This record gives sequence, C-alpha cells and structure tokens, in this order.
Amino acid sequence: MASRRTTILALSAVVLFGAAAAPLGSYPVYLLSLAMINIIAAVGLNLLTGNSGQISLCHSSFMAIGAYTSTLLAAKLGVPFWAAIPLGALLAAAMGALVGAPASRLEGIYLALATLGFLQIVQIVIEELASLTGGVRGLTVPKAAVAGVALGEYARFLIVFGCCTLAIWIANNLLASRVGRELNAVRLSPPAAQALGISVGRVKLAAFALAAAYAGVAGGLQAIVVGFIDPVEFGVSAALRQITFIVVGGMGSVAGSVIGAAVLSGLPEVLRPVKEYSDLIYTLILLGFLIFIPRGLVTVWHALARRLRGPDVPPVAEAGQ
Amino acid sequence: MTTALALQLAIAGISVGSIYALVALAIVIPFKASGVLNFGQGEIVTLGAYAALILTQMALPYPIVLAGVLVLGAVGGMVIERVLIRPIVKAPEFTLVIATFAIGLLIKGVISVRFGDSPNTIDGPFGTDPIVAAGLRFNPTSLWILACTALVTVGVILFFRYTRLGKAMRAVSVNAEAARLMGIRVGTVYRWSWAISTAIGALAGLLVAPLIGINPEIGQLILRGLLAAVIGGFTSVPGAIVGGIAVGLIETFSGVLIGSAFKNLVPFLLLMVLLVFRPQGLFGAADIKRV
Repeated sequence: MASRRTTILALSAVVLFGAAAAPLGSYPVYLLSLAMINIIAAVGLNLLTGNSGQISLCHSSFMAIGAYTSTLLAAKLGVPFWAAIPLGALLAAAMGALVGAPASRLEGIYLALATLGFLQIVQIVIEELASLTGGVRGLTVPKAAVAGVALGEYARFLIVFGCCTLAIWIANNLLASRVGRELNAVRLSPPAAQALGISVGRVKLAAFALAAAYAGVAGGLQAIVVGFIDPVEFGVSAALRQITFIVVGGMGSVAGSVIGAAVLSGLPEVLRPVKEYSDLIYTLILLGFLIFIPRGLVTVWHALARRLRGPDVPPVAEAGQ
Repeated sequence: MTTALALQLAIAGISVGSIYALVALAIVIPFKASGVLNFGQGEIVTLGAYAALILTQMALPYPIVLAGVLVLGAVGGMVIERVLIRPIVKAPEFTLVIATFAIGLLIKGVISVRFGDSPNTIDGPFGTDPIVAAGLRFNPTSLWILACTALVTVGVILFFRYTRLGKAMRAVSVNAEAARLMGIRVGTVYRWSWAISTAIGALAGLLVAPLIGINPEIGQLILRGLLAAVIGGFTSVPGAIVGGIAVGLIETFSGVLIGSAFKNLVPFLLLMVLLVFRPQGLFGAADIKRV
C-alpha cells in the first residue's frame, strides 16, 4: 500500500514531467509519445510473461487488433478516437481471451508455437482483407480531434502520457492485490496454486485478456500518434522487440517494464548513424541479457537502492523460474 | 480435377513437403536429445543456401559444394551449441525459446547486412529440363530433393538404431542423469545432436535454393517445419517426415481447392487445431505429468 506521502510525490512527479515536455519541439515530444506507447505494451506483456509465466510471441498482434479496430471505427463510422481506442482494446482483450482459452492447457514451446501461429493468422488476415485494411500498403489514420479541433503533437502526448500513467498505476495495484499474488503463484507452481484453490486455467486466461487489452490500447494510441499503420509494424520482429523490453528491464516487475521500454525506445535514435546494424545490435542486447543478466536492469536499480537505504530493505519479489 | 492434374499436384506437394520434412527433422533431433527447440533453425536453412551460393560462385563442382555445405552446417551448429546454448541449457523454457529465436534473427541480420535483400539463385545439379514419364512431368530438382530426403531419413534412422553415438543420444533423451552415470558424455551428445541437425538444415537450404531462390527470408520455412514437427509429434523421426510431406500436400492442394487469397491460412489454422486438441501430434506419445 502506498502511503499518502508517496502518492502525492508520485502525482507531482507526473504533473512535472508532463509540464516539462511542453517546451520541447514536436519531434522530441513525438519520440516521448512512442516511448510511452512502448511502456504500455511492455507493462501488459510483463504481467502475462513475467508474472503469470506464459510465453507470448503474439503481443504485437493484439496491438494490431487495437490499432486496426480503432482506425477503422474512426475512418468508416466516424467514431471519435476517445471511444474508438477503448473499443479496439476491448476487441483485443476478447481475442486475447480466445488465444488464452487453449493457452491455459498449453505451456512452454507449445504455447510459443500457438501464439506464433496466431501472429501469422493475424498478419495474413490483415494482408488479404486489403479492401478493408489496405493490405500490405497500409492505412492512413484519421486525425484525432476533439469537438472538431485536430489535436497537436503535445495534446496527443498528454493523452498517451495519461494512458501510460494509468496503465502503470493499474498494474502496480493489481500486483499488490490478490490478482498479482495469483498470477505469481500460477507461474511459480501451477499444482501448488491449484491446491490453494486458485483456478489456474481462469487466471491464465485472464492474464492473456489483460495483456491483450494493454496491447490494444498501445496499438490504438500508436495509430493516432504515427498517423499510419501497416502489417509489418506488428510482425514477429515487433513481438520480439516487446519481449526484449521486459527481458532487459526485468521480468515480473512493473519498474522493469518501464525501464526496459524507456531505455530501448531511445536506442534507435542513438543508433541512427549505424542504422543498418540496429536490428543486429538489438538482438545482441537481447541475447546478452538472456545469458548474462537474466534478471534485467531492475536488479541494478534495486542494488543501488539497497546501497543507498542500508540493508533493511524488504526482499525483492523476484521473477525467474 | 482430373487424375493427371491430381497426380501432378501430388508430386509437387511431396517434393516441397520433403524440404519441410528435412527442416522438421532438424528441429526434432536436438529437441529429442536436449529438450531444446531451435526456433532459429529456419535461419540455418538460409545460411546453408548462402553457403551454397558462395561455394558455387567459386566455380566448385556440385559434390564439393554439397560436402562444403554439410561441413559448414555441422561446424556452425557446434559453435552455436557451445557458445550460446550450453550456458543456458538449464534456464527456464522461456529463455531457451527467446534465445534460439534471437540466434535466428542474429544470423538473418548478418546475412541482410552482408548480402542485402537482392535475390540470388543457384541451379540444381541436373538442370531444369523436365523429365517426362507416363504422361507426367518431373522436375529433376524435385526428384533430387526427394532422393536426398529419403537418404537422410534412412541414414538418421540407422544412426539412431545402430551407432554408439545414436544409442547414446537416445539414452540421453530418456534420462540425461542416468545416461551420465552410465558413462555417456552428455555434453558430447548435445554437441553432435546440434551438428547433425544444423547439417540437415543447411542441406535443406542447398536443396531448396533452386526452387525458391536465395534471399534472407528463406528462414520463413521454419513455420512449415514446425507444423510438420507438430503433426509428427515432435520426438518421432518418421513422424517428422510424414508431417513434412503432409504439410506439402495440404499446401499444394489447398492452393487449388480454396483459391490463393486464404490458402496461407490453412497451415496455421491446422497448427492451432492440432495444438488445442492433440499437442502430442499424430505420432507422439502423450506426455503425462504426474503431480
């Protein structure tokens, strides 16, 4: 439970950060928005993979479902973005439950295969339903507007920032509650969780739906921020990129998702001079962390905190097995 | 559909399917020995195709190219196993899935940087003039692929049944600890299971190159190979072969029967259905977990 003082501190930090972005030019603000979108997707994926322990290679497909649903609702039916994005997230969550239903019976490589199969199905459907989705040529997203006034870069950033804060807040509260303990119990030992009266299948399914909802919101936001969507944006490499976020940041930790997504979102800008190698460097980072720092950057963070605050810090709930 | 057309399609399906069968075989062998499913196997196929391209451009005769691809594939597998897989072989399954995936992307990335996306190709050993027999046309490259697949299959089956190393691999796959206590070097078994698997993967690349050309996207074949392995039950050598040929036939016939737009969906829908209802495949034994 967060004390009142930490709540006030966190809220003022959020407001300060939001205000501090105002004087920046439109390109840095745009980059910040993209980083926040990555954070939302990573937080969702980490609840599923880091906490409930299920491999998902199709997180980017739920982003695609959110992005295409909200864009098509806006373009074909004139639904405003603030209604279209939640509807997209809802459909993503429903699809998440659909994938989660068989997933509750599968584990390890079989789950990896099933989610990989689902990713391919979503890709093929987007590519082949070209009359609706624009196929491989992609789709231009209608400008997000409130009461007929199109939003500028900073207004879009504030919306993304608000969603991101909310996403982190919800995830933190979930993990501190019964739901979070159930998710971790299902990862650590499904039989023991079952014996304690936790419905393992239902928790796994709920984790999939929840993660998909997060991805759906991220997808819808990405559509309005970037203004254009195509299937390549949501392919296997995007799914691997999101997995890289949580591996680098730290599995099973909201702070880990935020750190991983924030650090790696900045990477393409740093690597701009060696653009053709950026995919390679990304993959090397993923492999390096998997082999040498499997608990992620968040452990560095915790080690620092321990040193600063002395040895009486409560033990960190660690992900892993 | 006339009988002749059906037969012609069946021939095409079987020859494409035997490539999938080789990829499935390459997936199954290290999985059997060490429980590691190599999601990067598709890029080993790509690597084999590019190795064949380089050796062919050096104007070497086909048998030498073939031998070179096999040796390079085997050495590559040993290096990957030693450097990247061995340190994490006991890690959670998530780590292994993502690491092998990443190894594949790494290989693909290096190839894209070095060769670009421009397509290349090499010829099969017997030219492209179709052989006509009994009113049916046979592509000599397809026949060559079929022959190689048959040879590899028989070789692998004999290897597991009669050689010391093959028997050691089977022992390790049943119980690695007990095998170690019986004096089997488990590390050696892992190394050779990777070497054999990547040699077969590289061979698939050499064989498929004349049919589909050489580009960094060849690795996509792994999706068909994985489906074939799922059909075959993941731990069965004959299952992988039957699964591969089944996938080839399904793909060829669904193209004609369903039309091109959604034919690509068929293998993946089949994959989902199989995983939900029969994850142990058609040949594998159910893995019952006692609690």
